[in-house]
Amino acid sequence: MDGRGDDGTVTEGVGKYSKPFDIIDVDVHNSWNEKVLAKYLPEPWRTETLERGRRRVNTGLAHFYAANPEIGSPTRNTEALVESLFDAYLPKYVYRYGILTGSDYNFSALPNPDYAAALARAYNDLTLEMDDWYGHDPRFKFAMWVTHQDPLLAAKEIDRLAGHPNIVVVMMPAAGRFPLGQRHYYPIYEAAEHHGLPVAIHPAGNEGGGISNPPSSAGYPTTMLEWHTCLPQMYMGHLVSLLCEGVFERFPKLKFGMIEGGVSWLIHLMWRIDREYKALRRETPWIKRRPSEYIFEHVRFGTQPLDEPNNPKHLAEIYEMMGADRLLMYSSDLPHYDFDPPNSKFLQVLPEEMQRRIFYDNAAEFYGLPSRGELNASEGDVSSRATS
Amino acid sequence: MQPHKIASVSDIPPGERKIVVVDGKQIGVFRIDDEFYAFRNICPHAFAPVCRGRLEGCVTSDGPHHIEYDKKTTILMCPWHLWEFDIKTGRSLVDPKLRLKRYDVYVKDGEVFVIV
Repeated sequence: MDGRGDDGTVTEGVGKYSKPFDIIDVDVHNSWNEKVLAKYLPEPWRTETLERGRRRVNTGLAHFYAANPEIGSPTRNTEALVESLFDAYLPKYVYRYGILTGSDYNFSALPNPDYAAALARAYNDLTLEMDDWYGHDPRFKFAMWVTHQDPLLAAKEIDRLAGHPNIVVVMMPAAGRFPLGQRHYYPIYEAAEHHGLPVAIHPAGNEGGGISNPPSSAGYPTTMLEWHTCLPQMYMGHLVSLLCEGVFERFPKLKFGMIEGGVSWLIHLMWRIDREYKALRRETPWIKRRPSEYIFEHVRFGTQPLDEPNNPKHLAEIYEMMGADRLLMYSSDLPHYDFDPPNSKFLQVLPEEMQRRIFYDNAAEFYGLPSRGELNASEGDVSSRATS
Repeated sequence: MQPHKIASVSDIPPGERKIVVVDGKQIGVFRIDDEFYAFRNICPHAFAPVCRGRLEGCVTSDGPHHIEYDKKTTILMCPWHLWEFDIKTGRSLVDPKLRLKRYDVYVKDGEVFVIV
């Protein structure tokens, strides 16, 4: 375990390891101001938003997602983020990249597809412009957001922004009307594949609200505790849909990320779908391999929220079973109430090479960022930073 | 290993089968058109009496949401868990490493022999 000082910072060096851990954090939430956002909306929605606020749908439950003021709101105060993220875990953990994934993007459950798409577009423009105002920190990369009520509008947005040097992923909310493998969504996957961008989902925060399906297949939960605990069900439904509908046969270069849905359920899902496929192959004869093989080839998962068993080593056993060294990408979810710092004991129990792949390599491959070897070649020996 | 006469050709019409016992082993002998195939009556998955399963055509696809039905390929479907095996090879459609125990069969003078 790391030694931590009274203020929570790491006080030891790299511990038992010979060098620090390079980190790509694939889920860091920057925030935006509604009044500022309004300026990026077309009329009449600009005036509507300025005068009456943005259209929202929610779960009807209490939400505790609000950013922790101790941690700060990145695009408004980049220094706060750097302090709480990039610098906080030195020298053992060296943040190389943070993927800024925005916040409050619950537009996929809004009933009006044009309004929802305009909101996503405004969010993208605002994010990129704020990045310019503050001076781009090369450690930040961005998600562009689309919403899937009308996938043709989403594809148009991908065509508009693909090629921006700091956009590394097309993200969309998990809340929606159909499982994500259905052909309704093809235009999004086609555009993303064409431009070489991965697609990733993140909970909208309003799963169960507006036009989206209940967040749990059992129905509508009554508390945030129930809602949040059941979110993996939605991820399971989406992933199984992607596999069964043959999305990765149809789009063989598509990469798909599942962020903030947890991961321990994945081992169950892989075992289950591989078994079911042996009996029910004839329903989906376009699946040419065991379904779990498509997961390894095409899908990656954010680690947060880490499951926290009484014995942390039990999590390491689950990771070993599922092949987590190839599948997982570290995500902090900062600055939300359930964020996972890199020095979580549930990550420290993992074998070193698995940690290095989860902290850096899998994300570098997924988002097309420099490999660890390339980092070291361009900067000299990283380990010098640990002792400096 | 030696040939065992198990039936006359006329005992097994096309598309039918006969399950016989040879050396204490249950063996299913299938006739597809004029070809004969023989397998041990044990599914490698859970030891089901696989030779009692349905014979069907093979569902194939050249891409998502395209389904074709290949009547020329016959599938033996295990009656317990619905796993599919190609009757010509005994191989599982989803895992070619998994296969039924297969025996050579031949016809001589209107009689069907299995080599066990």
